[in-house]
Amino acid sequence: MSVQTTDTDILILGSGGAGLLAALHAYKSNPELEITIAVKGLMGKCGCTRMVQGGYNVALSSSDSVERHFMDTIAGGKWLPNQKLAWKLCETAVERVRELENEIGCFFDREPDGTLHHKAFAGQTADRTVHKGDLTGIEIINRLMEQVLARPIRKLEEHRALALIPSADGVGISGVLLVDMRSGAMKLVRAKAVLLATGAGPTMYKYYTPSGEKSMDGLSMALRAGLPLRDMEMVQFHPTGLLAGKDTRMTGTVLEEGLRGAGGELHNGAGERFMFKYDDRGERATRDIVSRGIYAEMRAGNTTPNGGVHISMSHLGPDNVREKFKGMVKRCADCGFDLAAGKVEVVPTAHYLMGGVVCNTDTETSLKGLFVAGEDAGGIHGANRLGGNGVANSTVFGGVAGEAMAGYAATAELLEPNSVVLEREIERALMPFNLEGENVNVHALREELMDIMWEHVGVMRDRIGLTRGLERVENLKSRLLAGNIGVENRVFNLTWHDWLNLYNLIEISLVITRAALARENSRGAHFREDFPEPGSLDESYFTQVELQETGLEVEQIPVEFNIIKPGESLIEDYTETAPKVQRRPDTVGA
Amino acid sequence: MGDRSNSIRVKVSRGDDRGRHFDEFDVPALESQTVLDVVTWIQRNADPSLSYRFACRVGMCGSCAMTVNGKPRWTCRTHVSKVLQGDTLTIEPLRNLPVVKDLATDMSEFFDKWTSAESRFVPTKTREDAIEIVQPATKERIEADAAIECINCGVCYASCDAVELNPDYLGPAALNRAWTLQNDVRDGGKNSRLRAVTGEGGCQNCHSQQGCVQHCPNTLNPTRSIAGLKRLATRAVFKREL
Repeated sequence: MSVQTTDTDILILGSGGAGLLAALHAYKSNPELEITIAVKGLMGKCGCTRMVQGGYNVALSSSDSVERHFMDTIAGGKWLPNQKLAWKLCETAVERVRELENEIGCFFDREPDGTLHHKAFAGQTADRTVHKGDLTGIEIINRLMEQVLARPIRKLEEHRALALIPSADGVGISGVLLVDMRSGAMKLVRAKAVLLATGAGPTMYKYYTPSGEKSMDGLSMALRAGLPLRDMEMVQFHPTGLLAGKDTRMTGTVLEEGLRGAGGELHNGAGERFMFKYDDRGERATRDIVSRGIYAEMRAGNTTPNGGVHISMSHLGPDNVREKFKGMVKRCADCGFDLAAGKVEVVPTAHYLMGGVVCNTDTETSLKGLFVAGEDAGGIHGANRLGGNGVANSTVFGGVAGEAMAGYAATAELLEPNSVVLEREIERALMPFNLEGENVNVHALREELMDIMWEHVGVMRDRIGLTRGLERVENLKSRLLAGNIGVENRVFNLTWHDWLNLYNLIEISLVITRAALARENSRGAHFREDFPEPGSLDESYFTQVELQETGLEVEQIPVEFNIIKPGESLIEDYTETAPKVQRRPDTVGA
Repeated sequence: MGDRSNSIRVKVSRGDDRGRHFDEFDVPALESQTVLDVVTWIQRNADPSLSYRFACRVGMCGSCAMTVNGKPRWTCRTHVSKVLQGDTLTIEPLRNLPVVKDLATDMSEFFDKWTSAESRFVPTKTREDAIEIVQPATKERIEADAAIECINCGVCYASCDAVELNPDYLGPAALNRAWTLQNDVRDGGKNSRLRAVTGEGGCQNCHSQQGCVQHCPNTLNPTRSIAGLKRLATRAVFKREL
């Protein structure tokens, strides 16, 4: 198999908030460097930064501070975050929002007096979420995209990354094997520095919110390249994903959290308002508690026709709902649902992966020349991510990575690729054409994976289920490898890419399941019915999974409390477990 | 929806600019079913070689626009019952753009024109400065906000007769963005941008046929934005600034 080889100084994988900020910062640091962005879809048009509704957490209001933002991040992450990463996130967010507004052109919403508007968000002790209506991500990504398009940055659109290729001598990264999806041709792009910013995305669950093309490509490549992944058991579920049957891509897409904040009610199949059985706050309890409440009703069979529960807003007055949630009501209406006056079926839906590649505060990984940012990076959020910290994370560390890569690439050399790995990875990517056996139905297997992960590795977990899940995913992998896809033409072949997506999702599903088995307590997004207690905070550890010759190895590594220890606080009067802040009930955000 | 028969006759455009034809499929009708779901069903169950593009599934990324029964639309947010003619759907790629394969177009020229129109913010401040005070009730902010929520899906571009007549015309989306920037009090690129949007392929090409207004899924009004640019251009000519 021939591979076309090209060289660049910096190669960025992904064009979400992390990838685009990295390109701009690298270019500003050193315009002499050749910068290339490779992306699975169109520039700035795939990935999840664009889908951010709520907003961007930043300590800019007079009642807030970086210390307070940090405390909320650590408490929200149940003491598992890497504290240096969390501090850098909160500190740098201040500069990054000013950069987005003053240099990139994002036009965030204002107070009547013209200062930035900060909205209240669940789980936070100050109003700190900067936004543009409820379409914050579109504003951020469109403005970033315009800036990137106007600079001499090389674009490889619809180029899917297949593998990280180490150097022949093993000292660092040589480049990335890609496939040009439009032609089907394989390409090796050698680079001095590579950024992994493909945005994870837990789309291996029956219900999921992320952009449909996402499939853990970055983490799967990192795993195969021998990099350690941390916190992989931490999958955040959003309680209200749209439920419209398995044959529509609408299913799983998120209905915003503000609906519950404004007084939306959840009813089970018998029409009972059930959330008060599980928490005194009812529907306004945190995401994880509401997700578990809904899941418990579903497991008990108290379900609506498609197997979920109903969200009902009409008691608030349909016109009022239409006005307050204009975008959400329109989206539902376009798809045939009446959110304002009727009931809409919902279900907990996989939203975000807190876990990712281990890195330091300069986004460096253990493979020299490889950097990581955004949802592919681990350790920033610990066991749970605060709403509004996702886009802060990608844009903060994307920019950090851009500068770090420009510094690194200024003195680094291009390295010769390890040809054994290269050949092996090409062969792997072409398996769906070359495997012997009957045609496999990729979609049927994907649905099976989504059922297994939902059932055994989802909202509530226990040893028996996780063990069963592991066996079933391993069995699924062997069936995927038992035949080819039955389509020869490689040009814009979605079924080939569905196969590659499924392969990556299977690999990372195994990692998630192993990490979930290893954590025998319940923290944040990870809930073990057989170990419902959080365990000692002082002895907090994070899980780390690596692929070794013998298979996946899981370690438990103590959290370093290098800024604060459990029980301590950087600010006065801070109650870590239940932020005691009075706010109007209608301001709990998405 | 209760009256719908239980299958949909779907005609799908196949091939690329070297040659195109229609393939026909019968797709089961479902209660919750968008046009994107129909296309997906065909790829998954009838013809795995069908090519199309999508990403977010919820009308935020603008990747999945196609021509459905003759009109450009986001397929992810179009329920089949809204567009069905009898029991038939005809699905083609967006007009006015080259076809990569089947239903996926090459959007490069659309974004190249976005750049040519200088439709990007030109800063007057840096990250070291405080954020500018801009009162939301001011006329400029209201004007800038009116057109800001474009997701660059290309629907307006595909529906524009002026683009069809003059392939160099910048088109509604790029000019709409330019108008928001001309109203942005923080922006420092207005003079240069006005020159960029009043040249050969500029705003004067618009004949106010309003295809863009009719079809914009976000109910934006690019015709109005372009009219704003024309006014600015006229004023600048009088003042001998252009």
